[in-house]
Formats: sequence, C-alpha cells, structure tokens
Amino acid sequence: MAERLLVDPDVEFIEEVTRYGGGDLKKCFQCATCSVACPISPDNRPFPRKEMIAASWGLKDKLLADGDIWLCHNCGDCSTLCPRGAKPGDVLAALRIMAIRAYAKPKLLADWVNDKSKLPILLAIPAVLFIVVGLITGLLDFTPEGDEIVHAKFFSSWLVDIIMIPTFFFAAGVFALGLKKFISDMHAQCLADGRTTKTDVNIKDVAQAFVRVVISILKHEKFNECTENRDRATAHMMVLFGFIGLFIVTSIFFVVLYVFQIHGPYSQLNPVKWLANIAGVSLVIGSALMIKNRLAKKDQVSTYADWFLIGLALMLGVTGMLTEMTRLGGMAGTSYFLYFVHLMFVWALFCYVPFSKLAHLVYRTAALTYTEWSRRK
Amino acid sequence: MTADKSAPVSGSILVVGGGISGLTTALEAAEVGYEVVLVEKKPYLGGRVAQLNQYFPKLCPPSCGLEINFRRIKDNPRIKVLTLAEVEKVEGAAGDYEATIRINPRYVNEKCTCCGACAAACQTEVVNEFNFGMNRTKGAYLPHPMAFPARYVISPQIVGTEDGQRCQEACVYGAVELDMQPRTVNLKVGAVVWATGWEPYDATKIDNLGFGRYPNIITNMMMERLAAPSGPTGGKILRPSDDKAPASVAFVQCAGSRDENHLPYCSYICCMASLKQATYIRAQYPDAKIYIFYIDLRTPGYRYEKFYKKVKEDKNIFFIKGKVAEVSEAADQGVTVTAENAVTGEKIHQTVDMVVLATGMQPTAVNAPLPADLKVSPDGFLINDFDKGGMFAAGCANKPLDVVSTNQNSTGMALKAIQTLVKR
Repeated sequence: MAERLLVDPDVEFIEEVTRYGGGDLKKCFQCATCSVACPISPDNRPFPRKEMIAASWGLKDKLLADGDIWLCHNCGDCSTLCPRGAKPGDVLAALRIMAIRAYAKPKLLADWVNDKSKLPILLAIPAVLFIVVGLITGLLDFTPEGDEIVHAKFFSSWLVDIIMIPTFFFAAGVFALGLKKFISDMHAQCLADGRTTKTDVNIKDVAQAFVRVVISILKHEKFNECTENRDRATAHMMVLFGFIGLFIVTSIFFVVLYVFQIHGPYSQLNPVKWLANIAGVSLVIGSALMIKNRLAKKDQVSTYADWFLIGLALMLGVTGMLTEMTRLGGMAGTSYFLYFVHLMFVWALFCYVPFSKLAHLVYRTAALTYTEWSRRK
Repeated sequence: MTADKSAPVSGSILVVGGGISGLTTALEAAEVGYEVVLVEKKPYLGGRVAQLNQYFPKLCPPSCGLEINFRRIKDNPRIKVLTLAEVEKVEGAAGDYEATIRINPRYVNEKCTCCGACAAACQTEVVNEFNFGMNRTKGAYLPHPMAFPARYVISPQIVGTEDGQRCQEACVYGAVELDMQPRTVNLKVGAVVWATGWEPYDATKIDNLGFGRYPNIITNMMMERLAAPSGPTGGKILRPSDDKAPASVAFVQCAGSRDENHLPYCSYICCMASLKQATYIRAQYPDAKIYIFYIDLRTPGYRYEKFYKKVKEDKNIFFIKGKVAEVSEAADQGVTVTAENAVTGEKIHQTVDMVVLATGMQPTAVNAPLPADLKVSPDGFLINDFDKGGMFAAGCANKPLDVVSTNQNSTGMALKAIQTLVKR
C-alpha cells in the first residue's frame, strides 16, 4: 500500500498525447467510471483509469509497455459515460499511435508516416523506386505490345517481385524487432504489477492462446461487446476480410506464376478472380463506411493516423478495382497508369505498415494473445 | 445620500418560496420592521428541510428549528403567508414591482382543526408526494404532522366526486369548501427575494445506475423519509421490495453530480448527507455493512471534517474510492454495484440489500422558469445582479448549499431587499 512513487513526468510526452488526439486528457478526475463502463476491461487492474493517470503524469515508459492500451477496441463506451468529457477512448488511441512509433525503427520513417506534410514524399518514394529500378533492369516497358491489355507487359511481374518481396521482409523485420521488445516490456510490467504471475513460457500454451485469439478477432467478438459504436464492427470486418481475401489471391497468383508458369490476367470465370473481386469490393465499401462513420461521429477525435490508414485502404481498393475495370473496358493507357498507382499503394502498405496505425494488427494480436495466455481475470 | 435615485418605493418585500431560505429571509426582514409577503406553492411551509429526518452534523431533527420559525411567523403581524400560491408575473423596477400571484384552492378553510374526520371519511388514496411516492395518502390529508399552516388539504382529484361530498359531510366545523376557486391577487412590492429552492435530480435520467429499474435502489431524499418517524415506514429503514431490514447498504456518491452528462457541478451536500445516513443505518442495525463509493469526499470545514472522521472510525462502514458505474440484479432481490477501487486498481462487484443514490440538487427554476427578468446560469441557478438590484436569489435557488449556509445567505438577502426599500 504505502509504496512510494517518485513521479518524473515527461512533459513532452503529455503534449504528444494531446497532439495525437488525447486533448481532453487533463479533464480526468480519476472517478474510474471508464474502467467499469468498458465492456471488455478485466477485473484485475482494469483499464483505462490507470492509463489516464499515467498519461496525465507523463509516465511514458509505463504506457508504451502497457498491453492494456491494445486490449481497447476504441468502442467509445468509456468516453460516452465519462462525467468530465476526458475521452479516455481517444487518449488510448493516441497512446497506441505513440507506442507504434516507439517500437518501430528506423525512427525517421515512423516520424514521416505520422506527419501530414511528409505524405507526398512517402508516395513519391515508390514511384521513383519503380521507375529507377524498372529502367535499370529494363523490366518497365512504356510501350507494351499486343491487343490484349496485360499489365505484366508494362510492369513486369519480376519487377513487382524484386521490389515487393524485399519490402515485405523489411516490414516483417521491423515488426519482429518491435514485437520482441514490446512483448518483453509488457511481460515485465505485468509481472511487476500483478496482472499475471505466470512465468513458464511454453509454446503449446502460447499457440493455443493465439488460435483462440485469432478466431475471436475474425468473429469480431470484442467489437460486438461494445454498445456505443457497435456498427463499426461491420466496416472493420469488411476491410479485414477484404485484406485477407486479397492476400490469399496474391499468394495463389504467386504460386501459380512461379510453380506452374501461368500468367495473368485470369478469366472472370476463374474462382480466384471471384474471390479477388469480392475482396476488392469489400475493401472499398468497408473503408468508405469507415470514413462515413468517422465523419458522422462528432464526439470522437479522428486524427491523421486514422485518415492515413483508412485512406490507404480505400485507395488500394479503388485503384485495384479501377485497374481491372479499365482493363476490361479496353482503356489501355489509363489502365496501365492506374496499375502503376495501385502498385505504389501496395508498396506503401507493405513498407509503412509497421509505422502506421495498421500495425495494430500485430501489436493488438500480440497483447490479446498475451492476455489470453496469462489467464488474467 | 446626495441624490434621490430611487423609484417610488413600496414598503413591502415579496419572498418567493417558503423553505428554510424563504422563511429566514421573511423573518429577518419582518423582525426589523418590514412588511413581507411569503408565497409558497405547496400547501405547507418548510420545503425540503421538512422532509429531512436529521440535520448534519448535529443529528437533531429539523422539526424543532422549523417549529421555532413557525412560532415566529405566527407572532409576527408583518408577515403575510400565502400557501398553494404561485407567482405568475413580476414586472417593474427596483423599489416598484407589481406581482401577480395565483392562489390555488385548498378546498379547506381556516375553520379546520386538523381533527382528521375528512380523511377518515375519504376512500380515495393519492400518491404521497411528500414521501416521494413510497406510500399513499387519503384524498383529504395533512401533508405531514408538522405542517404549517396546520390545515388539511383536499386533493383536486376528489373534488367533484362522491368522496369530496363525504369529506364535506364529515366535517362538523364547516371547513371543507368544495366550491373554492383559484384566485389571482396583485401585489405592489419594493423588492423580491427568490428563494425557490431545489429539487432532487431525477435519478431515472442516470441510466447506468438503475433507479426505477430495481426497487431496492433509492435516492438519498427517499432515505430521509424512510428514516423519519413521520415517514412511510414510521422511521424503520426497510428496503422497498419486501420491507426487509437491510443487512448491507451501498451509497453511490456523485449520482448525477459533477457529471457533464447530468449536473456538471458539485451539489455540496451529498457527501455529508450520505455520512449522516450511514449513521441512521448503523443506529438501527448494529451489524449492517455500509459501503460508500466516492470520487472524493467533500466535508468542508472543521465540523464536517470531524463528523467524517468519526464515521470513518466505524468498522462496519467501508469507503471505496471509485465511482459506481454499473448496477445489476443479484439473488434475493439484492443489487450488485460495480466500481473500480482506484486505490488498489481492482474492480469490485459488491452485492448489497439496498443501494442509496446520493443524487444532487437541481434548482427548481430549471424545470419551471421564473416569470421575471432574472439572470439565470446555464444550470438554472439564479445569478444575483447587485448592480441592478431589486430582485435577489437566496439559498439553493442561487447555488447548492447546506442549511447553515442557506440561513446565512438568506439573512444577507433580507438585508439586500431592505436596502432596496430604504435607498433614497
């Protein structure tokens, strides 16, 4: 009880929380309504009341290592009941962006991804990269021949892969390093404050917890416990399943190309194509719904990090679908151009994931799996 | 005084509201020689204080204080009391106001001796507002045993019915007058003091605290009536659903207060009220467990702080820092309240027999805007404009106050009203 805590506030950190959308943080008077209002907060060291005071006190290290900020699904029930309008939901959203930035290296890229003024540079990078590598290798052909529009004749699949595959591994590497540090920080904190006493890490336990968490994520179980913003689940589900569908399609395409030497474009009658179309439409509608929900929700803060991610998802879907539609419509020039733009967004997605809000995919899954594994009540 | 700035001065003061604030203002002004008209919309004087079981921190019943005040009014020919009266309009300027007052019929005249024959004859029962609807009373009733003026009231519900006739026939003094009509009086007054008081915040608006959904969740003002000897249970604290003696009670502090979704301000009295009510329960049930859930306990001043310290020594009273944000039904008609203990960082699910919501006060004027040119805060409290003068807000019409501060404040407003009359 009588432990002494010498608070060494990181004032810069507090200001950053404010900038990232937690501007009402200081209105909090610690009544703890939020911890009870939250439908998914545990009984043992519930959130977000403790995060609110830690943020007010500028306890940066404590918060970045705090897995609980990832358990939150930002449903807004806490902000609705908050008697002070301190918006704990928005504060946790801001903390998540800051945690992503802190764990993702190199720091410069993390700064750029979260800085509105650097957006043109971030989009120019893939464009320049494609042109330079394409011209050096000769895999970019500005005068593709033939009557049929085949995107690979313009932008060779080899070129796609020699750029995308290393980018993918770059992102995976950034994630691996960030995740390693995050999990060890989180574990140390949970042991220290009694959220868990479990120390024996056994792969089987972790794997079982992971499977349970993944199933729960796919079913959007946590989202559905929310009362205030339950409709968000639909949009999120469409975007998530859209991404999963497109990932499956891309993998099949990759295997078929390299193993069976069969090139696209596939016929519209091909079931893989069906999946691709459904997933693409789902991505576009889902992300458009997200924009609509955010614009309609005046009492919740939407920051650049939110718009960056939704914008990226929407552009990815829109350029992909338009590329296909213009190809089928025989508009060769437009279609090749759109394909180029589409690949820019694909690259941006791969490369910037670990630094953007989309990194929640990794950190939230990790925190949920950890919590499931630690059997916290 | 060098110049005569005042309008033609009318010598009397209109005091609107006959609660502890209005009584104080009226008496303080009348006892130094000013004419006062005291207007009360209910059929009795005493207001919220009349509904209390005990005052804090002395734990004495308010009836003795009210009795003294009523005696002072009776002895003072300068105070004219109008009950069942509502101010319809106040116009004019400082020193020269014209007030229109509507007096609703009581259907009982001054011949009433409080013998109770009318109530005995009456068969209809009406909701007892004085006890917050926890019981019913006859259609002919005395609002409460200490009611002043001590005169029965006949509910408009039974006027024109056979029951009304029965009451009239039962009265041997000829006090029942069923054909009484509302009437309007116009008064010329020099100053007006608005002592319109407060209402308990409507707890049904606090969705997550379950009032109205579960019978064993009551408000602090209902607790006053349960504990009062003149209350619906004769002073036994029993839970509403089954009249069981509660073995455990939870107090939910700041129920609607300090909450921008409800009342953004602190209602000032609820902490002391709950501490006081904890002593009611402990006096009746020596083994009962009491849980007080709070954000901060506000017991300002030496005497209140001392009271808090004394209550804190009780081993059966538990203080939990954390606001209750969820209630649910438990076995045997109990209620489970949920809060995070912000000191230990653990969520608590406490099941109790009964829950008391420490609801705050809302100015009466918020639900019934006053018919005069007054400054009102966004929360409905009257703002005193001393530069303009002439009309003043006293007591809880102005801000949330305890009884002691109300008396001080109302005395001050009596002086302000007097100054309006004599400023020449």
